[in-house]
Amino acid sequence: MQKLLTTGALLLGLSSLPAVAHHSAAMFDDTSLVEVSGVVKEFQYTNPHSWLIIDVTNDDGSVTTWGFEAEGPSSLMRAGIRRSDLPAGTPITIRGNPMKDGRPAAAWIDAVVNGQTLNPLNGFAINPADE
Amino acid sequence: MKAASMIRTAVISASLSIPVGALAQNFVGWLDYDGGGEQWQRNKSRLQDFGEQFDTAWDMYQYLERQAGGGEELTWADIAQPEYDWTGVYTRARGGLSFDPDVGPNEISAKLTELGAAARQEKIDLMAAIGGEYDPISDCRPPGHPRWASEPFLHDFVVTPDQTYLINEMVNDIRRVYTDGRGHTLPEDAYPTWNGDTIGFWDDGSLIMHTTYLNAGQYQRGTQPNYSDQVEVVERWRKVDGINLEADFWVFDPVNLAEPWYSRQAWIELENDDHLLRIRYWWCGENQNNDIIITDDGNSQFPDFDFLDNDAEISTDENVQRLGQD
Repeated sequence: MQKLLTTGALLLGLSSLPAVAHHSAAMFDDTSLVEVSGVVKEFQYTNPHSWLIIDVTNDDGSVTTWGFEAEGPSSLMRAGIRRSDLPAGTPITIRGNPMKDGRPAAAWIDAVVNGQTLNPLNGFAINPADE
Repeated sequence: MKAASMIRTAVISASLSIPVGALAQNFVGWLDYDGGGEQWQRNKSRLQDFGEQFDTAWDMYQYLERQAGGGEELTWADIAQPEYDWTGVYTRARGGLSFDPDVGPNEISAKLTELGAAARQEKIDLMAAIGGEYDPISDCRPPGHPRWASEPFLHDFVVTPDQTYLINEMVNDIRRVYTDGRGHTLPEDAYPTWNGDTIGFWDDGSLIMHTTYLNAGQYQRGTQPNYSDQVEVVERWRKVDGINLEADFWVFDPVNLAEPWYSRQAWIELENDDHLLRIRYWWCGENQNNDIIITDDGNSQFPDFDFLDNDAEISTDENVQRLGQD
């Protein structure tokens, strides 16, 4: 299932860093949000960016494979998102800024898995060590 | 508390043997950031003025070295003291992708030359025209220095008596600061590199360093200015409490900066009691989906996702379509 949501105001209050800190985010439309529900196909937990690959079953029974880009493992760990949290087959609803060129990919904004919200942008929040 | 301060006479002799333009500067020591309020703005102004007394970064570094009596020699026993304990996993404490953490990413505090201002405007105009940009680090080349200071992600810092290592997870990047009294690579053997050549000395818990032989680059993508391959940097690093490292940066670049650009950079140790945070290898080739191309108009694009077998058919981007025909 895919939904195209509107926009900008939903993004307010998120990290002051861009959605992608290693390359320009020009390929993503940061004025739109897309939401899809499906199952995890693969969690590519890699530097400099991780990719969460989702299989989405369409109304006609066909399957579209989506990719959602996030920061690398250390930022995801800081956001509390571990590689083991998203094994293949995990049901997920996920939102992101979609690609401008129509391909099924997006900059991952947040997701809901088993009732828990995952926010990869929290990977830039600072949780200081004890002094 | 510290080891006996062993003045390196050889270093002093070398320093004194080189003519230094500015001899009557007003020394400005470490000034507290203290939350960054009005007092910090006054402190920052003094530190900016301090840098402006010097014609070159090398002049400034030599002056600081003389002020420190040539610097102190650390021992392994010293390194057990809190001011030299830089262990832990750190990240940039403030500033986002702005080189000067005190101003927003679309503002700059630098005094640019006409050339520097024009180069910055060219970046701004291109971004406005194409709705984006291509950042060279997209292919996992190093950010280089002084951009190094404005990169987020995890950092490690390793202090040893003779070298200090400043490590960024990004592209497995390591700056080496030689504090064993050696000089720079000789000019006849030197060539520009991403992180240049850095020498330093310790002074009462501060690590002062000078970096030269750097590649040209940009302080950060977006509207941040460029620097030339004549850029040199003086830095004064200090552990200001149990978890915060801060550094005075004076960047000198006669091509792009009308005056040295002062900023206070900062890194903070992250909570890591469970030891899950650690620096991981960084290589764009590990995942095809991290491949980024520069488009015809100078923008950024993903050429070929591994989770699609028909990128060129789906994409409305001619750059992607053309790749599908090759």
